[in-house]
Amino acid sequence: MSETSQLAPTEVEKPVKVKRKRKRPIGFYLAGSWIALIVLLALFGWMLPAPSWDQSFYDSLGVHPFHHSHILGTTLDGYDMFAGLVNGARLSVLVSLSSVLIGGAIGTFIGVTSAYFRGKVDMLVTMAFNVMLSIPNLVLSLALLSVLAYSDENHPATITRRVSVLILSLTIVIIPILGRIARGATLQWSSREFVLASKSMGTKNFTIIRKHILPNVAPAILAIGFLAIGSVIIVEGSLAILGIGVPGGASWGSMLANGRGNIAYSPWEVYLPAGAIALTVISCNWFGDYVRTSLDKRESKI
Amino acid sequence: MSSLLKIDNMSVRFATPRGNLKAVNDVTIELLAGESLGVVGESGSGKTVLSRATMGLLPGTATRTGTITYQGQDISNMPKDEVRELWGTGMAMIFQDPMTALNPVRRIGSQLTESLTVRLGMNKKDAKEKAIELLKRVRIPDPEAMLRKFPYQLSGGMRQRIMIAIAVSCEPELLFADEPTTALDVTVQAQVLELLTELRKEANMAMILVTHDLGVVAGHTDKIAVMYAGDVVEYAPTRQLFANMKMPYTEALLKSIPRLETPTGSRLPVIEGRLPDPTKDEPGCPFANRCPYVTDKCRAEKPPLTDGGNNHFYRCWFPIGGVK
Repeated sequence: MSETSQLAPTEVEKPVKVKRKRKRPIGFYLAGSWIALIVLLALFGWMLPAPSWDQSFYDSLGVHPFHHSHILGTTLDGYDMFAGLVNGARLSVLVSLSSVLIGGAIGTFIGVTSAYFRGKVDMLVTMAFNVMLSIPNLVLSLALLSVLAYSDENHPATITRRVSVLILSLTIVIIPILGRIARGATLQWSSREFVLASKSMGTKNFTIIRKHILPNVAPAILAIGFLAIGSVIIVEGSLAILGIGVPGGASWGSMLANGRGNIAYSPWEVYLPAGAIALTVISCNWFGDYVRTSLDKRESKI
Repeated sequence: MSSLLKIDNMSVRFATPRGNLKAVNDVTIELLAGESLGVVGESGSGKTVLSRATMGLLPGTATRTGTITYQGQDISNMPKDEVRELWGTGMAMIFQDPMTALNPVRRIGSQLTESLTVRLGMNKKDAKEKAIELLKRVRIPDPEAMLRKFPYQLSGGMRQRIMIAIAVSCEPELLFADEPTTALDVTVQAQVLELLTELRKEANMAMILVTHDLGVVAGHTDKIAVMYAGDVVEYAPTRQLFANMKMPYTEALLKSIPRLETPTGSRLPVIEGRLPDPTKDEPGCPFANRCPYVTDKCRAEKPPLTDGGNNHFYRCWFPIGGVK
């Protein structure tokens, strides 16, 4: 245009440190500390001076919580409740974390690549996801478990086998759930101009996925991932109640299943594991929600 | 000077549910090294598609015909991987909206050094130094602090300068600037255009400047292609075009630029009517329905691209000033 346009260097201001107090909801702290407690118990619970979870105390059957020898009481069969809960936490964390992590990784990979490249593969992937999602979670893992970890009196399945099949079946349940979220988010982000801009500089597709798509898709996956941990814990409990989860009171669901018949005599046998499950699931949901809203902030400022 | 880019009879069609959409028809353009071409036209006239099609950045629903010769090499039928080798280092593009063309979750530094490390194979330290130098070249104050910032911390003009820095980072021979100033306000517009012209002259880089503003291209291009409904309707050296306009459409575009002298309260001049439906194949000149000089011949038959001498081409039966 005219000669008058001069690029005057803009005055740089020294960055002023503004102390921003981030207001986090109280639920975030509660949920966070509960999750931290469960994870700590799962990792280091065996160090606690508690009796063994699979040892029955014949001299104290069905004692109340806050009893001098058993802090959370015992079951009618004399198993220590506190030890059971701690051991159950280990199993819950193991099962839910590994299935969500493995299933999430596989689902994210499938969802992101199929949405990025589109085409026939994407169509097939979407179809497969929809078919899997149309089967209720519980029924799907029920079917997988009863086929892959079949056991009867003559051929009892070992606990390790049960747990690994449980993880496998829950992983299969998780893949389409997180895969579909990843696919949807990728569709939205890969049509953005910065992807085209990076492409126009000659960046390879997988570099674009790694550097531009994944960081933007991550918040949605993390949030749903936390929700998924919650629902995996519930599915695990339901399977145990149906009698095909982990047997012998090794998990919260299994404790619940065992104590169900004794509710009239020792209700804490039901309330304590049920409470642990409920609190953990609620905490995961809250935490996931918080992760989503806090990671979304940068985008909303634009 | 040698020919850098030659586009011969390029057409672009999009498959849509309503039928084949003709976005670009039979365009022939030649660009020498270091030269700057302005592509002007209203929204929907195929300017952006023209530049993206030339680079090969079209979505899968598009089909491109014709040949594109880049540095003596036919790139129109090249495999995608080989064309990608040209992107960034040979041809680069600046996008219209600097708000959406930067990744919101990554720092400026990592976005700026991305092509340096990926395309030029620089190590992190060299790339960072080069990035600081690039930021200085696009007149960003305090470049080192800028590397650590996120896009949301910058103004539109700053972001567009970052985009320019990214686009020229691998020293391309040819820069496509797709409406680089549309999203910016007028004072920043002038700065950005001045910067582009300066960078172009420094590196003897050719540029295709896409815009809807004849005023923008006037001072910054060597030649101009005016587009209407996918056709190049006038193609001439910049001085020649402004001195001796042939197309009624170009004249109408120029008239529709608001002027300070017009009295307050008067209506802004507009080109009445709309672009023809690009999915329909209608006979006659596509501008016929909006042209003030329209005749029966215009409605019946589409005018060919006519050579008016002095490298001036136009697509009109009755050019302004008559036929030579």
